[in-house]
Amino acid sequence: MREFLLIYRARLRTIGNTLARLGWLRTVSFIFVIAVFFSGAFYVLFRIFGYLASAEIIGMSLIDRTLEMAFFVFFIMLLFSNIITSFSTFYNNQELEFLFSLPVPSTSIYLAKLFENSLYASWATMVLALPLVFAYGIALKAPLPFYPVAVASIFIYLIIPAALASVLIFILLSVFPRIKPRDVIFISLAFVIGLSVLYLKISNPAVLKIFETENEQDLIRFAANLSTVGGAFVPSTWLANIIKGFRASSGRGVFYFLLLLFTSGSSVIISFFIARLLYHHSWLRLGEHNRRSGLTRSPLSRPRRGPVESMLFKDVMIFVREPAQWVQLSIFLILLVIYIFSLSRTPLYFTFPQWRTIISFANFSYICFVLATLGVRFIFPTVSLERNGLWCIVSSPLPLARILRIKYIFNFVLVTIIFEGLLILSNLMIKTDPTFYVIMPVIGLFVAASLVAINLGLGSRFPQFNEDNPSRIAAGSGGIIAALTSVAYVGISLIILAAPAYNYLTSRYMNRPGRSIFIVVGFAAFLVFNILTIFGFLRLGIRSLEKRDF
Amino acid sequence: MKRLIISHLGKRFNDNWAVKDLNLEIEAGEIFVLLGPNGAGKTTTLKLLAGLLHPTQGNIQIEGIDIRQDPIRAKSRIGYVPDQPFIYDKLTGREFINFIAGIFRIPAPEYEKRLLPLIEKFEIGDWIDEPTESYSHGMKQKIILCQLLLHDPPLILVDEPLVGLDPKSSKVVREIFLKLRDEGKSLLVSTHTLTFAQEIATRIGIINLGELKFTGSLEDLARISGLKDIEDIYLKLSEENNA
Repeated sequence: MREFLLIYRARLRTIGNTLARLGWLRTVSFIFVIAVFFSGAFYVLFRIFGYLASAEIIGMSLIDRTLEMAFFVFFIMLLFSNIITSFSTFYNNQELEFLFSLPVPSTSIYLAKLFENSLYASWATMVLALPLVFAYGIALKAPLPFYPVAVASIFIYLIIPAALASVLIFILLSVFPRIKPRDVIFISLAFVIGLSVLYLKISNPAVLKIFETENEQDLIRFAANLSTVGGAFVPSTWLANIIKGFRASSGRGVFYFLLLLFTSGSSVIISFFIARLLYHHSWLRLGEHNRRSGLTRSPLSRPRRGPVESMLFKDVMIFVREPAQWVQLSIFLILLVIYIFSLSRTPLYFTFPQWRTIISFANFSYICFVLATLGVRFIFPTVSLERNGLWCIVSSPLPLARILRIKYIFNFVLVTIIFEGLLILSNLMIKTDPTFYVIMPVIGLFVAASLVAINLGLGSRFPQFNEDNPSRIAAGSGGIIAALTSVAYVGISLIILAAPAYNYLTSRYMNRPGRSIFIVVGFAAFLVFNILTIFGFLRLGIRSLEKRDF
Repeated sequence: MKRLIISHLGKRFNDNWAVKDLNLEIEAGEIFVLLGPNGAGKTTTLKLLAGLLHPTQGNIQIEGIDIRQDPIRAKSRIGYVPDQPFIYDKLTGREFINFIAGIFRIPAPEYEKRLLPLIEKFEIGDWIDEPTESYSHGMKQKIILCQLLLHDPPLILVDEPLVGLDPKSSKVVREIFLKLRDEGKSLLVSTHTLTFAQEIATRIGIINLGELKFTGSLEDLARISGLKDIEDIYLKLSEENNA
């Protein structure tokens, strides 16, 4: 335990030194951006809970199911993200060579790394979960003790998937010592998907079924029969029950809090003993088998013509050979494809053209937000991933501005292909208004161009050259600033576009007189906003790189 | 024309001057070896010359080109090898060298003609097509030296070239440096290996606490210090400066 505390104290000191070096301006802007995001998320969720609470018959039932569903999805997300980061945290990490050379038990190293891994894998969930419980508490007028208990419960909840993921990775590495990071991710992905599908098949939750009736009796029956999401034996239900427990003054909340605490503690103790058995041994065996990776030939094995081609091929090869990158991108895309095909199941009362137009605008907003996330995860880290290899580019006769422009164009093309593909496919599924078919892809080009500029610009302004894990780079303070800036950009764009879209909708489908001035001014404002965003953030990125000492 | 002119060069990190008022000129066909204890300012000096750090004061001219006014043209005339041989670990050695060849626009036929002998000379063998994440420190150093020799710059800056190299490769490096000197290239080499410095240096500079305390030939050094052995000379001068 003493060693664990020493390792952890060193880790905390490192974090403290990093924060001290941030400078007050960066710290204040970081706190400000976080506060803006929290307030925004809180406000939206508060309105949703307020609205649902006022809905008769099914309101409270839907709030309960929303909480359960959110915590269940968080659990699956946490489990998967912990598995992905745990391979690099527990095995593929240079610090481990130093730690294992010290007279320290492997369990102390394990505990230090477990908390580190949990922190990195869970921050995004925390950013979503905290406004959720605060909005719930305030909307339903929860008593004051609700807030510390809810926050503590979430922290306790985060430990369970972290411990589970570490156990899974230890077993995997012990059974297959020659395993490669790519295979670890594939097996883990298959495991999590298989487990989720199996569980949902067995529990068959009614909340996932589409409800299509206008009969009040059916509605009451439907609400009454909504089963618990995920069932009574999963921690997400316990967490939801702790949160819900404050509404009824029974002891149920206390019982579930103790159950969660016990499960969380037990999972750490069990994983501790499994780590004692397997961790050091599997780490040593992995090192023995990883000496040589085998000969590799690629298009970059042939000489390239010039700097642009060389930079592009280098970026592509590094991306292709980093399994964590493309596996996560694939998951993103698979989820989006599932979403698009689920649009074809849109209920019948959405067949009216004005509904389809509204849905297509909502769909556009959703895709914009998803791409904002995608940008932070994949584009923001690109400059940081150059890392210590930057010496060869910076000392070469290739201007930094050109390097950033090459990266910009490459990422813009990729994002545009994904964005336009999703937009066209989803509009086909929704059978949207013909004008929207044409205009949305054009708007999409600007959104893609701006999101890439924001993430590259901020990625250059706040690089993390000491980190080689792209997920961790995206999870750093700069990544959070980029995420919140991207979300703010999408929000402002949607507000600007809402006026011309609404004007078009009412004039076309509701026989109200259309005002072309709304449409012209709206699009002009959108254009100016995007041009300023693109050039502003690219300039910020170029200037930051040019000023930097490498 | 002088190959490198450094005048009143300085670099300050917060309140500390890592390099102070450094003046130096290097001619074509000269190997200038920079000696100094850890933290003396050797790496900072080389990074300033390679354009990796912005000088706080002073000027650097490479073949008459001011690095601040025209950094791109100036950098096309230098080759730099850092003290830590960091390479993109997901690329193979060959891919990394190809990448650099592309950045420096080396024509493919010329590049292929030059690469094969270098692979043989450094005994890289099949490792050239392995991802560099599986390389030892020395193997990475060999790959970086290969890319440097491929683009054939007139001014070569090398920070600690022998770290991690086996004795045979160290010998190859020494031979290559002397051959480059004979071809009229200029080298600025920082090292801790005094015997290596003795074998290759045309002139030696001793740097301590960011200041260049001495420049001259080995003979000048011996005359000033009254000692013959380079190790004794170096230790004596370093101690005097520290005092």
